[in-house]
Amino acid sequence: MEASVLIFGLVNSATLMLVALGFSLIFGLSGVANLAHGGIYLFSGYVTWMLMNYLGVPFLLAVPLTIIIAGVLGALIYWVALKRVRGLHLSEVIATFAVGVAILELFRWMGFVTYEFTLPVFIKGSVDIAGVSIDYQRLLIIGIGLLLAFALWVFSRYTKMGLALRGMAQDEYTALSIGIDSDWAAALSMALGSAIAAIAAISILPLGIISINMGYEVLIMALAVSVVGGLESITGLVVASIILGFAKTITGTYFDPKWMEVIYLFALVLVLAIKPSGLFGKFKELEERV
Amino acid sequence: MLEVKNMTVFFENALALNNLSLEIKAGEFVGIFGSNSAGKTTLMNNISGLLLHRKFREKAKGGERITIDGKLYFDGEDISPTIPQDRVKRGIVLCRERHPVFRDNTVHENLLLGGYLRSKKEVNESLDFVYDLFPALTRLRDRKSGLMSGGEQEMLAIGTALMAKPKLLLMDEPLLGLSPLMMQEVVQAVKKLSKTGLTILLTEQYARPIMPLIDRGYVIENGTMIVSGTGDELMDNPEVKAAYFGM
Repeated sequence: MEASVLIFGLVNSATLMLVALGFSLIFGLSGVANLAHGGIYLFSGYVTWMLMNYLGVPFLLAVPLTIIIAGVLGALIYWVALKRVRGLHLSEVIATFAVGVAILELFRWMGFVTYEFTLPVFIKGSVDIAGVSIDYQRLLIIGIGLLLAFALWVFSRYTKMGLALRGMAQDEYTALSIGIDSDWAAALSMALGSAIAAIAAISILPLGIISINMGYEVLIMALAVSVVGGLESITGLVVASIILGFAKTITGTYFDPKWMEVIYLFALVLVLAIKPSGLFGKFKELEERV
Repeated sequence: MLEVKNMTVFFENALALNNLSLEIKAGEFVGIFGSNSAGKTTLMNNISGLLLHRKFREKAKGGERITIDGKLYFDGEDISPTIPQDRVKRGIVLCRERHPVFRDNTVHENLLLGGYLRSKKEVNESLDFVYDLFPALTRLRDRKSGLMSGGEQEMLAIGTALMAKPKLLLMDEPLLGLSPLMMQEVVQAVKKLSKTGLTILLTEQYARPIMPLIDRGYVIENGTMIVSGTGDELMDNPEVKAAYFGM
């Protein structure tokens, strides 16, 4: 395998992981398939841009502000659009999809459709690895992706709050009977997932121009990774990101780049047809007692 | 400690509790006996606040199927409008029927979750107590609870409820679906718990092993209280004998 395939495969894998982490976290912790994920991702990109360009906020301050704003938006989406339909899965999907489309189309309506919307990179410059030139921002994406995945794994297993959120996702009434507030837990998981979507946006969007269609693409990427890996599984998420990230890179390098985006949809359909629970959903099914 | 006053509950037009009143004093072990659909679980869910939560949830979705009328007093305060979390903070903790556990979590994680509203010091104290009460759980500490037997899950469910440091422990049919051996183990644990002075309200269909342990008991049918008395009185009652002991 060429060094460039290996390196860009890793970058694409980390990008996918970052994009899907927020979506997977919300589903794993509150059981909500948040189809507003793409909208929140792009919202975060535009908010960072607006903070910097309309209010003159420095980039390094705009970043934490955006993450907080995205978190608040996630919690608000729960309280306004999801609280009433909690537990009605189809209604949850419709509500979040509508919110996501509304966010994206609102930006289109506001005129965010030209090529001036870009975000700065964290570190300028590039480095040569095995003869392949790669910019620092892409390396940073790998680092942030791995760090966030590890942090979430630790959070969901070793913190009181993480355990409470997992408990709520498994059995709401039992969680309530020991004092965990279900609405608070669901709102918190939406806030966390949205904040992670913002981190992903701020890390990945500097690689290109911010465009509305990216919101829809991000949603497809997040869905593909989560479904292929098996919803609720962080291990599955990491493995699916690697598989799809390398599949995309290999397709772009050895076949035709036009097929690169189709890979996600193909994988999604394939997994749903052959093994709907995803690569790592199997274990959960086997472990369940009847 | 707890007073249930004129409690009536309807699920749409089906009557689940009919003007039911009862009282539990601190340190008492009270049993509620009744057959299927007598209203035992409705009563427990009502005291724990789960029923009110469900009512609010359904109302938010645009339907109102549940009607709750009557009052609940805990330590003299009206807790009827309070949410489950508030009731747990006050010390009312329910161990639901059919051994509810967080199946993806280990035994230890389940117990830690039980102490969600308590301080680290309280959690550590309670952990020792629960592992002491159910030694089997020590051995299963790192086992995923979804992989355990029904009896082990019931022990864990009771242990998880105990981690919340209840003043009033509500146990909804803890013997449901257990093997005779596991049943004995759970009954022994309940006996030990009642001896610690913990106030217990327990519902059960299978009255035989529980009735000798209780201070007082009530028998309900179709949501209506039909007999009440001490454990001995209930065991001597011909109706109870016929219905629960086959005599």
